[in-house]
Amino acid sequence: MSYIEVDRVSKCFGDRVAINQLSLHIHRSERLVLFGPSGCGKTTVLRLLAGLEIPEQGSIRIDGRVVASSGKNLVPPEKRDLGMVFQDLALWPHMTVQQNLMFGLNARRVQKHEAKVRVCDMLRGVGLEHRIDAKPHQLSGGEQQRVALARALVSRPSILLMDEPLSSLDDERKDAIVSDLLGLQSQFGFTLIYVTHDRVETGLLASRVCQMRDGRIA
Amino acid sequence: MGRPVKAETIVLWLCVALVAIAGLAPIAAIAVESFWQNGHFSLTYYRELISAARFWPLLANSIRLALATTAVCGLIGVPAGILFAKSDLPLRSGFMWLLTVPFVLPPYFVALGWAHVVARIGTIASDWLFRFGGCVLVLSSVFLPITMLLTFASILNVDRRLEEAARLASGWPGVLRRVTLPLSAPGIVFSLVLVFLLAMGELSVPSFLRYPTLPVLSFTQFAASYNFGAATAAAVPLAFIAFFGILVESAFLRDRDYAFRSTGQTLFISLRHWKTPLATLMAALCFALVILPLDALFADAFSPAALHEAMQRAGVSVVRSVMYSAVAATILMALGFLLGHFMRGGRQRVLSALTLALFAIPGTVLSIGLVRLWNTPCTWFIYATPALLILGYTAQYCAVTTRLSLAGLMLIPTSLDEAGRLSGAMWARRLFRISIPLSTRTLLCAWLAAYILCLRDVPIAIMTAPPGGDPLPARILTLMANGAPPMIASLCLIMAIASLIPLVILARVIPSRG
Repeated sequence: MSYIEVDRVSKCFGDRVAINQLSLHIHRSERLVLFGPSGCGKTTVLRLLAGLEIPEQGSIRIDGRVVASSGKNLVPPEKRDLGMVFQDLALWPHMTVQQNLMFGLNARRVQKHEAKVRVCDMLRGVGLEHRIDAKPHQLSGGEQQRVALARALVSRPSILLMDEPLSSLDDERKDAIVSDLLGLQSQFGFTLIYVTHDRVETGLLASRVCQMRDGRIA
Repeated sequence: MGRPVKAETIVLWLCVALVAIAGLAPIAAIAVESFWQNGHFSLTYYRELISAARFWPLLANSIRLALATTAVCGLIGVPAGILFAKSDLPLRSGFMWLLTVPFVLPPYFVALGWAHVVARIGTIASDWLFRFGGCVLVLSSVFLPITMLLTFASILNVDRRLEEAARLASGWPGVLRRVTLPLSAPGIVFSLVLVFLLAMGELSVPSFLRYPTLPVLSFTQFAASYNFGAATAAAVPLAFIAFFGILVESAFLRDRDYAFRSTGQTLFISLRHWKTPLATLMAALCFALVILPLDALFADAFSPAALHEAMQRAGVSVVRSVMYSAVAATILMALGFLLGHFMRGGRQRVLSALTLALFAIPGTVLSIGLVRLWNTPCTWFIYATPALLILGYTAQYCAVTTRLSLAGLMLIPTSLDEAGRLSGAMWARRLFRISIPLSTRTLLCAWLAAYILCLRDVPIAIMTAPPGGDPLPARILTLMANGAPPMIASLCLIMAIASLIPLVILARVIPSRG
């Protein structure tokens, strides 16, 4: 049985059909890349999986549980056990790196001591333990990407969604982060769903590629 | 078992309840009252009003005054806003804040200042002031900052890259006409609608300058005859016009809600040889609209004897004014922020229109409703205390703090909140840990704006203050009947200082460009 099942899901924004009767099955610990031109609905699929958008038709199941179905979000985003790296990274500018990572752990009531240990481990994993007290604007572009990745993973989600997070980086930094990401995936075993329009990123990351066009899998 | 009610929903309904109690219920109460006579449904008040010989001329006067004021504010305020936002005009920041001063004072202060000026000139000038022309002059200088500041803010919001793209194809006049102004049009039209509605409902200036309008009639029916039905019937046309104005604004803004963000830098127009003439013109405008009347008003205010008498006779009112305004501003800041939060992303449009309608409804109408609703033996604890006044301020000005908060919240990417959500944080935690810390400047601006508006308010202060607990603008109006002019001038000075301190802070908090 698939870990994530998207069954004939449709989503419109006004008159524009963003997702049209899309069906998709994803296995546990798979690295799926959604690949396609701008505006084909890749980001909308991620947002539907995250619960940030509600499907108008169809249903979404995660681990056998229906999380959204025809106009209803049955499980809110905060309860879906997933992490997301946004295209603009969405690091909270008023918080330090540590506070950015601690936020989710505090919200999930992880013990303070354990939370600190997890944050340090995660930052060590992405090579940023020395930047723990820095604020986002004091970091380079590559460091910000790593913090966003660490924040998405620190609460150990079973699914990681990534929305073109590397599009603004040069090839060298991109390779380094992809290598970090693959290492973390083999360590934690999360299911990765990665959106891009870049063939090189697709080749580096994917265990399976789904090509999208006009709101459907082509 | 039903679904659990979310904290967000509960808070939204509490906010709606506050707006309903403070604003909608009073309006509903007087609407019902105007159709009720001797325990029966009746159109008598309206029949009497419409058949009264004075009604139509008064309505015509109100509309004429509002149209003329709007035209003057548009003709001066829009070009001034463009100049301050986009040009290298010398001293532009100083000019802008100086022109804003009349707006932060009770409107009748400017009228009083002009009365002092014309008293020195002679009868002809005096005759002119105490008529339509004088009313337009005073109201235009009071409401000019609305068009000027909203034009300024709208133009600063235009992304410079859009103008740069246009500059490759056209000179500045073409860019302004084809790109900058159309993109700023929603803000400019909104400012003109606001000026029209505020001028329509203005009470203190037409009353002081003896120019008969509907709000004056409504207030007289209420204060002199204590005839609620007649006062309401006179106020209802004003309420209708306010709602109509909001509908016009909404219709114009449909599909024009451009969602773009300023890059934080503005593309400047170099005025070159126009710099000096335009700066001179602006200085003359500041002198005529601000310095001349306020200098005349405050000329006698500095004598120690007058200041001493002013403090003796109205010192308590000063403290009261500051306290009531501070409490109301704090409530308005919190309510506006929460409403802005709920309205983000185009949600709760009905609530947005309702708050705006409450802002546009004249203070006299709202106050009559509040008195009517709460003047009962069971609700004495509200009617006889400053709570009624604070409810009035809350209803009238929550649109301002809501829109300010919304504008500030729109600058925060939604992904920051979404990231918080995916981190497992519930609504309240995201509100306190993400939205509020990122909005401290917005909150401060909202508080200061609300404080200034409450402090300068006249109709609500006069009509809803508890017995013996009148705030300073109402106290000055009372003392004007029999107080010595230097003492009145000193009170006006004290009031002006109380209003200008937050304006100075506001000028420091908001950078002059962006």
